[in-house]
Amino acid sequence: MTNSIHHYDVAIIGGGPAGQAAALVLDQNGARIAVIDEQQRPGGQILRQPPQEFAMAQSMKGKSYTSLKSQLRAFEALNRCDWIGGKSVIGIDRSGGTVDLTLASGDGITQVSANRLLIASGCYDLPIPIPGWTLPGAMGAGGLQALVKAQAVVPDGRVLLAGTHPLMLIVATQVIAAGGTVAEVAFDQRQSFLARLLIKGAGTALRNFGLMLDAASAWATLRRAGVPVTFGQRLSVIEGLNRVSSARIGKRTVHCDAVGLCYGFLPQSDLPRLAGLSVRWAQPTGGWAAEHDGWMRSSVSQIFVAGETSGVAGAPAALLEGQIAGAGIALDLGLIPMDEAEAIRRDAARKQIRVSRFAALLDRIADPTSALTALRDANTILCRCEDVTIGAVETALIQDSDPNSVKLVTRCGMGTCQGRGCEHMLLRLAAHKRGVGPNELRGFTSRFPVRPTRIGDLIG
Amino acid sequence: MRSQADITRGMPVTIEVDGQMIDSFSGETLLAALVAAGHMRLRNDQEGQPRGFWCNMGTCSECFVSRLDVTPVRRIRACLITVEDGMRIATRSISYD
Ligand SMILES: Cc1cc2nc3c(=O)[nH]c(=O)nc-3n(C[C@H](O)[C@H](O)[C@H](O)COP(=O)(O)OP(=O)(O)OC[C@H]3O[C@@H](n4cnc5c(N)ncnc54)[C@H](O)[C@@H]3O)c2cc1C
Ligand code: FES
Repeated sequence: MTNSIHHYDVAIIGGGPAGQAAALVLDQNGARIAVIDEQQRPGGQILRQPPQEFAMAQSMKGKSYTSLKSQLRAFEALNRCDWIGGKSVIGIDRSGGTVDLTLASGDGITQVSANRLLIASGCYDLPIPIPGWTLPGAMGAGGLQALVKAQAVVPDGRVLLAGTHPLMLIVATQVIAAGGTVAEVAFDQRQSFLARLLIKGAGTALRNFGLMLDAASAWATLRRAGVPVTFGQRLSVIEGLNRVSSARIGKRTVHCDAVGLCYGFLPQSDLPRLAGLSVRWAQPTGGWAAEHDGWMRSSVSQIFVAGETSGVAGAPAALLEGQIAGAGIALDLGLIPMDEAEAIRRDAARKQIRVSRFAALLDRIADPTSALTALRDANTILCRCEDVTIGAVETALIQDSDPNSVKLVTRCGMGTCQGRGCEHMLLRLAAHKRGVGPNELRGFTSRFPVRPTRIGDLIG
Repeated sequence: MRSQADITRGMPVTIEVDGQMIDSFSGETLLAALVAAGHMRLRNDQEGQPRGFWCNMGTCSECFVSRLDVTPVRRIRACLITVEDGMRIATRSISYD
């Protein structure tokens, strides 16, 4: 461990839209800040940037990205704010009066301490245990997209996108723009279901015109490229020997070499739960969202949350939460008068009304519940780290329906990913068994280090 | 496959993966270099079944590989690590024990 611990007014975990927005407000009010991110460069998931060494035409061309991109430029121009890229936060400790963070990277362990902490760690692709999802070539659609937009690499062969979330239309166009081949974009839902929701929510959809336009233009691009966009036929099995070679969509077999699974996103909840923040079960995707008050204060003093850690509602919502958190922290530290903080909060809260209606519409459209229920196959691996099948979990649930007991008995959730992949499904199965909602169950305990770390680094 | 659309990459670098030389570019993540080389199988599970990466953002641990050119050997998540010229990598799809 290093002895020199850098101290800041505020440490921000996550350089996405939420973390950047908070940093901009805080910097303007004179705070000394560090922003820490596992990625090398700022941007977060939505604007994951190519490496500094690359010169690449901006891959995020859609209308809805304009304000996010200008915020990112403003953030990168801050000169007092310390950017700590390429390091994972693995621990949070408040016992010394300050908030002390442990950071890990390929080079070992470092520490950062601050008076206030903002957790803006975002979300991750919903891991969906479909038969064959462990085959090489099957991946989260967000992960696929990040490969294309930040690395300009596309899996060889034909790429299938399947799921419930409309983001896959955009991912498909990005694969094509990068020279890849899209086999099909397959929505679980029937077209009539989508149309009904869109008509009911037409006002909301129109007020979020930029995003709707991006989806519509993506669809038109796919049509022109001759890519089938299908509805109402569910992906049920991914097949292959050494890697993906086909998939079953409804009654059809689609030949493909890679599959991007797009069923929505779960809030990152490892750091919030490690620090003891109170969380709620996130609907409809599952996972745990950090709770907060009107200033984005968490249930634990000194710690604030913003962005998709506190519920997945899209990048514009994450940005607004970041602004409010920035104002809230500045207020807490006595850096800003109440009326100024309140003005920032009121302005952001007004804009939140619009984006949250759109997020609610998207939640209803992309709801993965029926896919998660229909695809329950006993032989499919649920816990990828420990090779535990859905069947093994269901058998253990017959003896004891407490998720943490099942974890101990089966090892489901005991591996290096700490249950990020399987906890949501184990809780759903346990809740089903007990006839309660998953929100009524106790989730896994988050443990230090929240990212796999060499023991030698921790004691060295 | 590496996209050629409107892009200039970093300096060429060469890395060794399971004894084979693979071309890469400065700034690329190790995972991107592996995917571009068609190296999708990164490990075998307890039943010997093939596994590949899932999240490409550091959360799932499926992309763990060993870096052999440092002492002690480090296990790293390929999706978070940038390639370096002369890097030697062992995936867990073959046994090195
Ligand atoms: C892979 C992926 C791709 C996506 N692509 C799109 C898209 O194209 N369009 C769209 O509308 N939405 C997309 N989303 C949804 C998108 O994440 C959000 O709408 C938006 O980026 C949320 O902003 P945020 O600031 O809350 O979090 P993020 O942008 O996710 O930023 C959080 C940051 O925190 C970092 N982080 C997390 N945990 C740690 C830790 N322990 N230590 C250090 N750093 C940490 C992450 O590396 C990340 O950069 C994507 C999501 C994912 C997971
Ligand atoms: S692919 Fe999930 S941790 Fe790297």
